[in-house]
Amino acid sequence: MTLQTPLEPKPDKMSRSSLIWRKFKVLFQVWLAHMTAYRGEIIIWMLVGMVPLIMMGVWIGKAQANGGSQGGFDSADFAAYFIGTWLANQMTVVWIVWEMDFQIRQGTLSSKLLRPIHPIWEFFASHVTERFVRFPPVFALIGVAWWLAPKGTVLTPDLTHFLLFLLSITLAFLIRFTLSSIFGTLSFWTESSTALDELYYVLAIFLSGTFAPLEFFPKVVQDVVQYTPFPYIISYPVQILTGKLPDSRLLEVLGLQCLWVLAFGVLAAWLWKIGIKKYGAVGA
Amino acid sequence: MNKHLKILKIFAGSSVSAQMEYRANFIVQMISSLVAFVGALLGLSVLFGDDAGLGGWSLLEAQVLVGVFLLLEGLTEVLVYPNVRKIAEMVRTGTMDFTLLKPIDSQFSVSSRNVNVFAFPNVLLGFGLMVYALIKLGNVSWTGILLSIPMLLSALTIIYCICFILITTAFWFVKVENIIELFWGFFRAGQFPITAFPAGGARILFTYIVPIAFITTVPAQALIGKISLESVLASLGIASVLFVASRLFWKFALKSYTSASS
Repeated sequence: MTLQTPLEPKPDKMSRSSLIWRKFKVLFQVWLAHMTAYRGEIIIWMLVGMVPLIMMGVWIGKAQANGGSQGGFDSADFAAYFIGTWLANQMTVVWIVWEMDFQIRQGTLSSKLLRPIHPIWEFFASHVTERFVRFPPVFALIGVAWWLAPKGTVLTPDLTHFLLFLLSITLAFLIRFTLSSIFGTLSFWTESSTALDELYYVLAIFLSGTFAPLEFFPKVVQDVVQYTPFPYIISYPVQILTGKLPDSRLLEVLGLQCLWVLAFGVLAAWLWKIGIKKYGAVGA
Repeated sequence: MNKHLKILKIFAGSSVSAQMEYRANFIVQMISSLVAFVGALLGLSVLFGDDAGLGGWSLLEAQVLVGVFLLLEGLTEVLVYPNVRKIAEMVRTGTMDFTLLKPIDSQFSVSSRNVNVFAFPNVLLGFGLMVYALIKLGNVSWTGILLSIPMLLSALTIIYCICFILITTAFWFVKVENIIELFWGFFRAGQFPITAFPAGGARILFTYIVPIAFITTVPAQALIGKISLESVLASLGIASVLFVASRLFWKFALKSYTSASS
């Protein structure tokens, strides 16, 4: 038996598209209010992601001890890279798997299914609005980091690169969001979905380029990660920001990012479809 | 003392049997631990790829330090974290009442109630790396090993006290579970020797404000026989001061506890 979301009443005056638009507007307004209320907690979570800043310290220390540069990066390059990494990590924080695990286990998902909008949009709205609450303190902290960074640190060469970074980091967020949704849908079958997401996080510290720029890893690791989503979430967006990615590769990177979003999105949707049947079947 | 040991045994037993309900998680967590371990080793090889060392530490010495870091991280996950996380919840929901009514010391009781056995493999991995790197280093002295035991205990005390003091603020601020995550954020710096950071702000921060240096650098220095008398004394001093402070703060906080409903 499938649990069906009841059909919405036929709109009389409003057209279908304006109805959808209104639903999303309400959803985003509600979540923005919610997230603004939790701004203190968001700032704590922002400060928790210290790893890139710690790595910045270590690599600058290493470059200084090595006579100013290490593997083609001087102190200013490391500073720009790791401040960028920090920003990229902040923009791709995703907790949907915890939310789905909780709601499926506790059964609170049921009431969400009755609403005339797919529950995934609610998770999506909470993530997107949170990002807007996070923006101001993130940029304030980047200001501080830039002020403390070695002289001559160029975070981004020009506005174009910054705008392209915004595009690329949005795609990176979508890769991370759809991937995490896949783990989330596994909560229909297993209690280990959050542990899987933690496994992702442990791998991502190294393979996405948070621990060190990927150039510093052995050749074989560099080659293999190209076939995984990891560098497309942190490493490439940061290279676009700092202007290290050659323009000739820009379209290829953005295109592959879209492909990852598409692949994970389709898989997540399919898993949701068969999972939700099982959820109905256990009577939650 | 005997009474406290008996209570510890009962607490551990009940919390282990509760966790056995979630065995499946254990396997995924084990894989996570192994991946983190391999990652830490890969990270070291990246940082030491040129044999120049890091802040005056050789690769093997740094492996000892990472071993110490993983060991302490594991012990924190097994012993400290599951307890401090619960304290804020107990204050918020008012179940702290039951603890306060019991005829044992309340700080002891809230700090020892839970054990997270699933994190134990991390302790073993850390210990294993530490011993392996020490053996490969060769010249290990018995003085160093004997000295490292009080240094490790003092490091664990420092971690416990910082977490405990942070969470005690739950008596005034409602939602503070996440404040512990802040400490974890800084704690990551402990996988590097303090001298790896550029002189100045970062070193001062990790020595005096968040004493990460005394958590991993100092015990590792003891093990490799490069510790100074000042470090030993400072480590013991900081641990004692923090312990007394955590106790006084807890007593003070209890005075303003009015339970959840009143």
